[in-house]
Amino acid sequence: MYPASIEQYHRPATVDEARAAYAAAGGEAMYIAGGMSLMQAMKSRVLSCRALIDLSQVSELRGVENSGGRVRIGAMTRYRAVAESRAALGPYQALADAADRVGDRQVRNRGTVGGSLSWNFVVACTPVAALACGASVSILRADGRRESLAIDDFLQGPMTTALSEGDLLLGIEMPVPANPASSAYRKWGVVVDALPTIGVAVFVELASASSCRNARIAVVGLPGGPARTPRAEARLKAADLGDPSSLAACAKAAAEECDTAADPWIGASYKSHLIERLCLEMIGTAVRRARSQMS
Amino acid sequence: MTTVEKGWIGARYTRREDLRLLTGKGQYLADLRVVRDPLVVKFVRSSVAHALIKSIDVSAAAKLPGVVAVLTGADIRDKIRPLPTPSTVPLLPGHYPTHWPLAVERVRFHGEPVAAVVATDKYTAEDAVELVQVEYEDLPPITDPEKALLADSPLVHPDIGTNVMFSMVLTGGLTEAEQAANKARVDSIFATADVVVKERFYGHRCGVMPLETRGAVASFDPEAGLRVWMSTQRPHIDRLVFSELFDIPQNQVQVSAPRDQGGAFGVKAPVYREPIMIVYLTKLLGRPVQWIETREEHLMAVSQERDQIHELELAADKQGRILGLRDRVIADNGDSCEGVFWGFIMPFYGAALVPNAYHIPDCDISITAVATNKSALSPARAFGSLPGRFALDRAIDMLARKVGKDAADVRRMNLITQLPCNIATGVHYDSGNFVGVWDKLVQHIDVPRFRQEQRAARAEGRYIGLGFGVAVHASGVASEALVPMEGQPGYGSATLKMDSSGTVTVFEGDAPQGQGHETTMAQIAAEILGLDPEDVTVRVGDTNNTPFASGTFGARGGSYTASAVAMAAKAIRDKIVKVVAHDHKLEPDPAHFRFEAKSIWHKDRAEALTSMAGVCNRIIMKPLDLPAGADASLEHTAFFEAKEPMMAFSAHAAIVEADPASGEFRILRYISSEDVGRVINPLIVEGQVRGGVVQGLSNAMFEEFIYDENGQQLTSSMENYMLANAADVPNIEILHADTPCEHTPLGTRGMGEGVPGPVPGALCNAICDALEPFGIEIRDLPVRPDRVWALLQAARARAAG
Amino acid sequence: MTREISVTVNGTVYRKQVPVRLLLVDFIRDVLDLTGTHQGCTYEGVCGACTVQLNGEAVKSCMMLAVQADGQQVTTIEGLARNGVLHPLQKAFKEHHGLQCGFCTSGMIMNAEEFLRTNPRPTEDEIRHALIGNICRCTGYQGIVAAVSAAAEEMSAAGTPAKSGS
Repeated sequence: MYPASIEQYHRPATVDEARAAYAAAGGEAMYIAGGMSLMQAMKSRVLSCRALIDLSQVSELRGVENSGGRVRIGAMTRYRAVAESRAALGPYQALADAADRVGDRQVRNRGTVGGSLSWNFVVACTPVAALACGASVSILRADGRRESLAIDDFLQGPMTTALSEGDLLLGIEMPVPANPASSAYRKWGVVVDALPTIGVAVFVELASASSCRNARIAVVGLPGGPARTPRAEARLKAADLGDPSSLAACAKAAAEECDTAADPWIGASYKSHLIERLCLEMIGTAVRRARSQMS
Repeated sequence: MTTVEKGWIGARYTRREDLRLLTGKGQYLADLRVVRDPLVVKFVRSSVAHALIKSIDVSAAAKLPGVVAVLTGADIRDKIRPLPTPSTVPLLPGHYPTHWPLAVERVRFHGEPVAAVVATDKYTAEDAVELVQVEYEDLPPITDPEKALLADSPLVHPDIGTNVMFSMVLTGGLTEAEQAANKARVDSIFATADVVVKERFYGHRCGVMPLETRGAVASFDPEAGLRVWMSTQRPHIDRLVFSELFDIPQNQVQVSAPRDQGGAFGVKAPVYREPIMIVYLTKLLGRPVQWIETREEHLMAVSQERDQIHELELAADKQGRILGLRDRVIADNGDSCEGVFWGFIMPFYGAALVPNAYHIPDCDISITAVATNKSALSPARAFGSLPGRFALDRAIDMLARKVGKDAADVRRMNLITQLPCNIATGVHYDSGNFVGVWDKLVQHIDVPRFRQEQRAARAEGRYIGLGFGVAVHASGVASEALVPMEGQPGYGSATLKMDSSGTVTVFEGDAPQGQGHETTMAQIAAEILGLDPEDVTVRVGDTNNTPFASGTFGARGGSYTASAVAMAAKAIRDKIVKVVAHDHKLEPDPAHFRFEAKSIWHKDRAEALTSMAGVCNRIIMKPLDLPAGADASLEHTAFFEAKEPMMAFSAHAAIVEADPASGEFRILRYISSEDVGRVINPLIVEGQVRGGVVQGLSNAMFEEFIYDENGQQLTSSMENYMLANAADVPNIEILHADTPCEHTPLGTRGMGEGVPGPVPGALCNAICDALEPFGIEIRDLPVRPDRVWALLQAARARAAG
Repeated sequence: MTREISVTVNGTVYRKQVPVRLLLVDFIRDVLDLTGTHQGCTYEGVCGACTVQLNGEAVKSCMMLAVQADGQQVTTIEGLARNGVLHPLQKAFKEHHGLQCGFCTSGMIMNAEEFLRTNPRPTEDEIRHALIGNICRCTGYQGIVAAVSAAAEEMSAAGTPAKSGS
């Protein structure tokens, strides 16, 4: 399958040039990041455009940085770079866990964090990890305004985000908490590293070795796209981290508050089971990682 | 160069094909630059499962610059002869629906070609496909073969008047009276048996999916005739069909399979709609035409097999000795429009092989193949037998549990020990040593020791299990069987030509797709003629320079074609002996001569009599003073027809660890014990076994064609039709228990075909064995953790309730 | 609709006018006639047969436009053997029967070559994970995994500096 005809191709070096190219195309332009989803959509003719603006050379949108109490990831940072930046990611290991298992090596060599967030495919790894990490999303609006949105507000349902025509996602950032904190993500798919049937990401900030100051849990594999599980989060915040039954209750709560639906391969009740199991496991991983910072 | 001590046959000789393929110089169909600027064809395919075509508006597409033609079924129905034609129909009593390359009046499955767009390039062709507007009037989709059997079911082919495309009782005899008597006998066995297992099994729709899709390039010149290059397993059959359909004499039709083909596994054997359309278009337009199938087309239209329900019953005594078997097989045949195979040939053959390697003289087996609004079943490795293997091997484990014995012992007790034999369906098993192969497998595993480990693991809360599956599978199909089944011969054929420098060219009319014939056939010719394989060039797949052959499929290569190569090489050897004996005034007894190290030696002489180059040059270029009756020819064409159909045997074992909490399972070991006759090249045999096992695992766990209740196919991309990747599968251990075949000149058998067959049974038996304390039985494929988990939940509910 | 691009493929600079929508794989196969790069899935970018290296990194050439490779270095299977000397991976694939039909082989090797530069001494598990993006239907992967492992050993033993793919 081949894309429909495209008139122009631009490869700007800066964000300003990218915006100028977009404006010049008169509303029939598309930004392309790594293209791992967009190319599929173009080849199957779900999407087409007059001008394609390739962001791959916009270096100001690339990189993982941990400074001044914040972790920043540029929108054009490739999965590969995220996966290789575990040290810089600090408490936000879930993003590396996700990036490390997206697609395959070839996809990780091209695909980007910003591309995945903008596309917000119903079962994708990066959005759910960012959701659990409580990222702030930096957007450059088409009119030039810069805006920062909570990831919870940015992700608005499958293939839908707060981005409008001509908006550019610049990156995400997260604060480095004062207390030991970490996160973890794991997915389950029919084949190894398939798109997630279910994926669970958990972030914890510890108050002590056995209690959380803050916790976020997000689940992907639901018909409505990635979602947080507030009741499970509340339980985790109140949980005794040293008590397995307390953690098991969190995981059970997460499964109970998610409305799973069967897909052609996997039934709904098994998905609930997967949520419970992965949630318990990810709480354990996140807590263990966070505790390792205490000494 | 590999050096060998015992000869080329049996040597672990690395492949002749590899160098070009490893450096990007392979020549697959899409790589050929054999015609100039071919027009490109894309098909518009039905978006619905079952409908009348109200109208097709091609005007916008036809107007697009670069578009040369847009044709619909209405345009071709009076121009192209439809299938079936005499050479595409088996000699079996079935229904063979009339069909054209493009749908005429109605569509019968989601993905059926309804129009063909011809353009100057593929991008434009696809633009035009987008512009073709088809208006459908929906008909009720028929997606469940059992519902399709009900009296009030709508019909896929109203002109045929039934959805039953084929049905047959395979046991008892040919007459209804014989079959009824047999049935009564089997009924009485069941009535008095100590133990009966009665289960319904389902082997889901999945297939093989070669990485290279189908395709064809054609050109036509009224004087030179028709030239077709296509990705095919059977170029000679294709030539026959094109000749028949387009009234071109066979000697004016040349079909070439490219030297390199990216896999086929059965799917490139039938006569499909699209290549016929390509031939028509090149004739119509007077220009070369090319069609390279997309992956989506492939997944919509072909590569779909299995899909059988088995209502299987076993009657046994208290010891677990099987006394009788009943099996009612229902195959979901899809739209049944597919030249040569018509969907049902595979399940028919699978039903004939249901008794497998077990001694069960009293069977009552019937098959019903039902038309539905899906793609017709197309051949896939294990040819129709995979669901039946799964059903019987699962049933035997269930029987073992009922009689309180180890499934390994029940299997051993029921294996066929007397060979040759005819099984209850009339299929002939020629020779071999099933028990020997089996014993090698269980000794290798050490079953008692495994049981100890299993108990110890369970005590620690770990659940490991052992499962077996076996398969007797065809090692090529003799004319005796293939003529009735496909209306085509099964013999192997090859031409050998020696040239005056003492090197050899082998011509075979088959069309390999990764089996390594350039290597194995060269090894055979080299061994017999005392040459190196490097001295032998193998040419395949061109109807113009090869003897008629029925193609590369059904493990014919190692049995039939290899035998023909051996016979042709032997004939040339004998002739050379005659001339050398004559020249050296020796007795022309072939036993006195050795062909070695590119020379010819006599038993009484220390020095070589002559080099091969010398004697070949002498015969071809200096044909003077030849012995009486000899001419200058060093060319021979041999046809090999086996005296009896030949079978290969394999026994598989899987060892898994399963998690009762999640239903997940991990394959710890997979072992295959094989009897493939004398091995030509162990490297290639092992590659076939490993690849076949992984295809079986991929079928069992991941691959699945899914149609929704409206007949919409949901799995026409590789993201949805999921295939095992490297991280999904284990290494495969291989044991050889090879007994030379008595019916081939070299003792070889073909072996690639059947390998996936026993895999799902072995895997599922292992999972059920691992989880035996929880009492689950897997009856349906595919097997995935969610299904195992659901079985565990149900078992727990039963135990609690 | 068209655009002139300059792409260095296997060390040779090609300057061509191409349609903007032309896929990189079609540029390689149809424009440059380098047919060692294969197409197995045509749409989703799942099969991996079309894998080439872009600036030394494995990418699926069906998931990019040719114009995106403008000014960049592309290496295909045809560029791997140097002066007729096979790359250790190519030798190992033959030695370990890592191919049957050969259709997946080019992509498999182009991915594995980059992988071994990032991880010169991989475990079997790491090799299997690294090859997830390349589907093989013939071999069951075992020969491929053995070949990658053997090539890694050979290169490490020989101290072959992991050579850049471009």
